[in-house]
Amino acid sequence: MERAVVLKGITKRFPGIVANDGIDLEVKKGEIHAIVGENGAGKSTLMKILAGIYQPDEGEIYIFGKRERITSPGRAIELKIGMVHQHFMLVDRFTVLENIILGAEKRAGITIDEKNSRKMIEELLSLYNFSLDLDARVEEISVGQAQRVEILKVLYRGADILVLDEPTAVLAPQEVKELFVNLRRLKEEGKTIIFISHKLDEVLEIADRITVLRRGRVVGTVMPSEVTKEELARMMVGKPVFMKLEKASVPTGEVLLSVKDLVVKESTGKTVVNGVSFEIRGGEIYGIAGIEGNGQKELAEAILGLRQISSGQVTICGRNAGNLSVREIRDLGVAFIPEDRHRQGLILPMKVWENMVLGFHRKKEFLKGRSLNLKAIRKFAEKKSEEFLVMLSSIEQSIEGLSGGNQQKVILGRELSREPEVIIASQPTRGLDVGAAEFVHKELLKKREEGKAILLISADLEEVLSLSDRVGVIYNGRITAEFKPEEVTLEDIGVYMLGGEVKAGEGA
Amino acid sequence: MKKRYYIVMLRILAPVLAIVLSALISSAVILAIGKSPLQVFYTIFKFSLSRLDSIAIILYNATPLIFSGLAVSIGFRMGLFNIGVEGQYLIGAFFAALAGFAIKGLPVFVHLPLVILCGALGGMLWSFIPIYLKVKRGVHEVISTIMLNYISYSLIHYLIADVFLDRSQKLVEGLGGILTRTPKLPPSALMPKLHVFLGLFGIQLPRHVYLNWFFPLGLLMAYLIYYLLMHTPFGFEIRSVGQNPEAARTAGIKPERVYMAGFLLSGAVAGLVGLSDLLSYFGYMDLDFPRNYGFDGIAVALIGQNNPLGIVLSAILFGFLKRGAEGIQTQLNVPMDTIVILQAVMIMSIVVITKVMNDYIKRLERKESVICSSQNSSLPA
Amino acid sequence: MFLAELLASSLRMAVPILLTALGAVFTERAGVVNIGLEGMMIAGSFMGALGSYYYGPYFGLLLAMIAGLFMALIHAVNTVTFRVDQIVSGVAINILAYGGCRFLSLAIFKMATTSPRVSGLPKIDIPGLNIGFLKPLVSGVSPVIILALLLVPVSSFIINRTVFGLRLRSVGENPLAADTLGIDVFKMKYAGVLISGALAGLSGAYLALEHTGMYVEGMTQGKGFIALAAMIFGNWEPVGALWASLLFGFSEALSFRVVEGGAIPYQFIKMIPYVLTLAVLTGVVKKSTAPAADGVPYERGLK
Repeated sequence: MERAVVLKGITKRFPGIVANDGIDLEVKKGEIHAIVGENGAGKSTLMKILAGIYQPDEGEIYIFGKRERITSPGRAIELKIGMVHQHFMLVDRFTVLENIILGAEKRAGITIDEKNSRKMIEELLSLYNFSLDLDARVEEISVGQAQRVEILKVLYRGADILVLDEPTAVLAPQEVKELFVNLRRLKEEGKTIIFISHKLDEVLEIADRITVLRRGRVVGTVMPSEVTKEELARMMVGKPVFMKLEKASVPTGEVLLSVKDLVVKESTGKTVVNGVSFEIRGGEIYGIAGIEGNGQKELAEAILGLRQISSGQVTICGRNAGNLSVREIRDLGVAFIPEDRHRQGLILPMKVWENMVLGFHRKKEFLKGRSLNLKAIRKFAEKKSEEFLVMLSSIEQSIEGLSGGNQQKVILGRELSREPEVIIASQPTRGLDVGAAEFVHKELLKKREEGKAILLISADLEEVLSLSDRVGVIYNGRITAEFKPEEVTLEDIGVYMLGGEVKAGEGA
Repeated sequence: MKKRYYIVMLRILAPVLAIVLSALISSAVILAIGKSPLQVFYTIFKFSLSRLDSIAIILYNATPLIFSGLAVSIGFRMGLFNIGVEGQYLIGAFFAALAGFAIKGLPVFVHLPLVILCGALGGMLWSFIPIYLKVKRGVHEVISTIMLNYISYSLIHYLIADVFLDRSQKLVEGLGGILTRTPKLPPSALMPKLHVFLGLFGIQLPRHVYLNWFFPLGLLMAYLIYYLLMHTPFGFEIRSVGQNPEAARTAGIKPERVYMAGFLLSGAVAGLVGLSDLLSYFGYMDLDFPRNYGFDGIAVALIGQNNPLGIVLSAILFGFLKRGAEGIQTQLNVPMDTIVILQAVMIMSIVVITKVMNDYIKRLERKESVICSSQNSSLPA
Repeated sequence: MFLAELLASSLRMAVPILLTALGAVFTERAGVVNIGLEGMMIAGSFMGALGSYYYGPYFGLLLAMIAGLFMALIHAVNTVTFRVDQIVSGVAINILAYGGCRFLSLAIFKMATTSPRVSGLPKIDIPGLNIGFLKPLVSGVSPVIILALLLVPVSSFIINRTVFGLRLRSVGENPLAADTLGIDVFKMKYAGVLISGALAGLSGAYLALEHTGMYVEGMTQGKGFIALAAMIFGNWEPVGALWASLLFGFSEALSFRVVEGGAIPYQFIKMIPYVLTLAVLTGVVKKSTAPAADGVPYERGLK
C-alpha cells in the first residue's frame, strides 16, 4: 500500500512548551486515518504543520514517498494537501462559487472565467454527490453546507489528502452522518483523509486506523476493531477516566429565573429568539442543547440585558428584568460566564487583579471614598486566585499571559464569588483542557448544591446531558423539546437539534 | 521579579529609541539640503539650553502641549481618536476670550477662574458634536472631528472678523485699517506670569518670557488625570472600555456613557490648550492665533505613551524642539519645518517600536506563565 | 447656460475628490484604512507643481504619482508590515506631508507656502458635442477629468470582475481565509494602499496643475478626508464614489455662486463641504457596510 503521508520525528516547540515531540506517523493512501487526543495534545499543531501554517523545528515529512518541506499554505496546496479548518475559512460576503475558486481562479485574460469554474465545480458536485447552491452567499447557508464548501474548496484544488480538523464539532448528529457518507464517498474515489477529533464514538465509526496523541507524543496507532471506547479514552488521557459526574440529589427551591415567550430580534429585523419559555428553580441546572447559531448566544445576552427584548418576559428572583440595564440585572444576582471569554469575559491587556473586579469595581468594599481601594482589590484578587487555583506568577501580570483554563478560572472567581442566585454559563468549557473543564463542572455542581439556578448553554451534548437536570433543545430560536437527560439518547436529541417535530405538549 | 523590571525598562526604552531613530532620519533630510546635521543638532541644543530664559521659553512652549497631549490621551485611553483637539481649543480659546472682554468689573479671583472655566466649556461643547454623532449615529469620530476642525477655523474667522471685531482700536500706524481681532481682555482676566513667584527663589526672568501659571496648572492637570485613570472607578471604566468595549459592556459598564463623559472631559481639557497663549501673551484673539497645537498633541500623547508623566516630558521635549527650530532657522537658515518632519517621523517610529516591543513583551509574559502552569499542559493555541 | 456652467464647475470640483475616493476604495477593499490620503494629495500637489515647473506637466503628473506612491509605501510598511494603528499612521503621514512640503518649498522655491505659476496639460475640446447648451461641459476640458471619469468603470471592472479584484476583496473581508488559500495577503494589501497613494498623488497634481496653476499650501483643504466620506457614501464602490464626489463637487460649485450673491458671510459658505460631509455620514453610516476586516491589521499565525 502506498503511503500518502509519512512523518518522522516531527518536533514543534512554542515558548515554554513542546507541542509536538518527535511525532512519527504513517498515513496510507486511500484510508481514513483518525488522529485523536484531548485539547492540547498537539493535534492541531501537527495539522498546521501539514498545512504549511507552522514549520516544524525538527523532523522530516514525506508526501507520497518524496521528502518535502511545506513552507506555506500555498506549498501544501501544490502538494495536494487540503485543509478543512475547524473554524471555517470562508468569506461570508462572497458567494459559494467565489469562495471555492478564490486563490485558484480559472482565468480568461485578467478576468475570472466563471463559466469554466462553474462547470468544473458542478462536475465535482455530481462526482461526489454533494448538493450546494453555488450562487448563495455564504452568510446565508447552514453550517453543514459551509463545511461542504470547505471540502469542495480543497477538492477543487485537486487535493488528494484531506485534513479535517474537528469537523464534527459544529454539526448535529444527523449532519455528522451526512458528512460521514461524503467522506466514505471521497475514500472510494481514492482520496486520503486525515480526521482529527476527540469524539471517540465518531472516530471508531469512521476511521480505518486511529493514532492517539498525548502531550505532543504518539501513544500508539490502533485499528478501530481492536479497541473499545474506554481503552481509547485511557490512551488519550493516560489514566482511567470516569465519564459520569457525581451529581448529588438536591431539593429544588423557588423559581429564580423565568423566561416567558421571549422574542429577540437582530437590528436587521431578523428574529433570532422566537418565543422561548422556561423556568429554572434553585438547585437546578437547566441545559440548552443545540447547534451553534440557533439563538443560544442571543438568548443568554437577552437575559443579561445585553440585547433588547422585543416581547416576552424575563423574571429574575421574582423581579421583572425586561427593561433593566446590564448592571441592574447583575445586581439582582446574575453571574455570567460568556462563551467567548476573550471578547466578552476579559480585558486581555489588563492585569489579573483588574479583571478580577471588572464590573464589580463600584462595589462598596472596593471603594475608599470616591476612589478605588486598590489595596482591598489586590487582596481580593490574591484570595480568589488562590481559592480558584489560578496558576500565575503574580496578580500584576496581564491576563493574556495566562492559559485558557486559568483565564476561565479568573472569570469563575469573579462571577461566582458574589453569591449570585442565577448563573448563566455559556459554553463554559470551550477550548479548555480536561483538568480545567473538570474544575468548571465541579464549580457549577457546587453552586447547584448551594441552591442556585444555573442556565447551562453548551454545544457539547455530553456536557449538557451529564450536568443538567433538565435539557431544552433549541432550534431556530425556539425550544423544540424538553427532556430529562436520563430519558433520551443522543440520537433523539439530534432529531430536535435539526428541527425535527415538536414533542406534543412541550416546548414553544 | 527581575523580568518585571526588564519589561518596565523596555517600555521606557521605546520612546528613547523612537527619538534616536527620528533624529537619524531627520539627519538624512538635513543632509539632503546640504547642511550638516551635527551642526543643526548642536545649534538646537546650544540655542535652547544655554540660557535660563531659554529654558523658561521651552516650558512656556510646552504648556499648551501638556494640555493638548492630555486631551488626546484621554481619547486614546478610551480607544477613541480625538483629532478634534485642534478645533476644540480654538473654540475654547474664543469662549475664554469672550468671557474675558465681555464681562467687566470683576475681581481677578472671580474673573480669571471664570474665563478658564469658559475655555473648558467651549472645548467641551465642540467635543459634544462628534461624540454625540458617534454614540447616536455611529459616525466615526476621526472624520467628524476633522470636519469640525475645518468648520471651527471658518467659524472663528467669522466671529473675530465679523461679530466681535474690536472696532474701538486705534489705527495702527502705516496700516490703512484696523487689526482683525477681538477687543483686549482686561487685566482681571489675564494669567499672571511666574516671574514674581520664581523671583522668591532668586530666579530672575526677563520680561520677554511669558512663562505663566498655566505651566504648573498643566502639571496639576497631568496629576489629576493620572489619579482619575488609575485610582477612580470612572478611570477604570475608561481603560476597560478602551481595551475591550464588549467585555466592559458585558460587565455592566455602558461604553456609550463612558465615551460621552470621557470625550467631554477630553474636550474640556482641550479647551484649556490655547489659554496660556491667550491669557498671557496675546490678551486678545486674532486671526494669527496659534494653530496646530491639536495635531502636536497627538505626537505628544503617543511619545508619552498616553501616560500623564510621559506626556509632560514629551511636551517639554517638543517645547525644546520648537525653541531649537527657531535657532536653526535664524542661525543656520535651515527651515524650521525640519521639526515638523521630525515630529511625524517620531509618531511613526514610536508606534512601530512600541508595537514590536509589546509583541516581544507579550511573548515574554506568556513564556513566564506557561512555565508556571506547565502541569496544566495547555498550549498557546 | 448657467446650469451647464454649474455642472461643468461641479465636475471640475468633483474630480480631485473622485480620484482620491477611487483610491480609497482600493485601499479599504483591501482592509487598510488610509486617512493619510490627504497628505498624499498634499505631496502630489507640491511634487506635481515641482515637476511641472522644471520639466513640464506630464513629468509633474508622474512625479506627483510617485510622491503619492512613496507616502503610501510608508503607510503600507507601517500598517501592513508592522501592523500599527492605521489611523495613527495616517495622521503621521499627513503631518509629514505638511512639514515636508513646507520644508522642500522653502528649500527649492524659497517660499514656504506657494510655488511659482506652473503650466498644466493642454486642454481638450471634445468634438461633436460642442453645441450651445453643452458647450461649457465639453470645451477646454482637462484631460485629467476625462481620465478620472474613465477610471470609474475601469476600477469597477478591476474590483468586481478580475482575479486581482476578487483577491483584493477577500483580503479585506477575511484575510485569514485568503492566507490559507495561498493568497499573499501582504502583497494584496500593499497593492491596495499603493494604488490609493498613486491616485491621491494624481489628484493633488490635478489641483496644482489643472485647477489652480500653482502649488499653494493647504490647497487640498481636507479633500482627502472628504474623499473618504465620499467613498463611504458610495458604499465602497467606484460608481457610488462617483455620484458622491459629484454631490460634493456640486455643493462646492454652488457655494461659489452663492458667495457672489453676498447674502451669507463667506466663512459659512466655506463650511459647506465639511458640514455636508458630516451630514452625509450621519445619514448614511448605519446603512453602509464596510469590508468585514477593514481597519484590522492582519497578523499571521498569531493566535
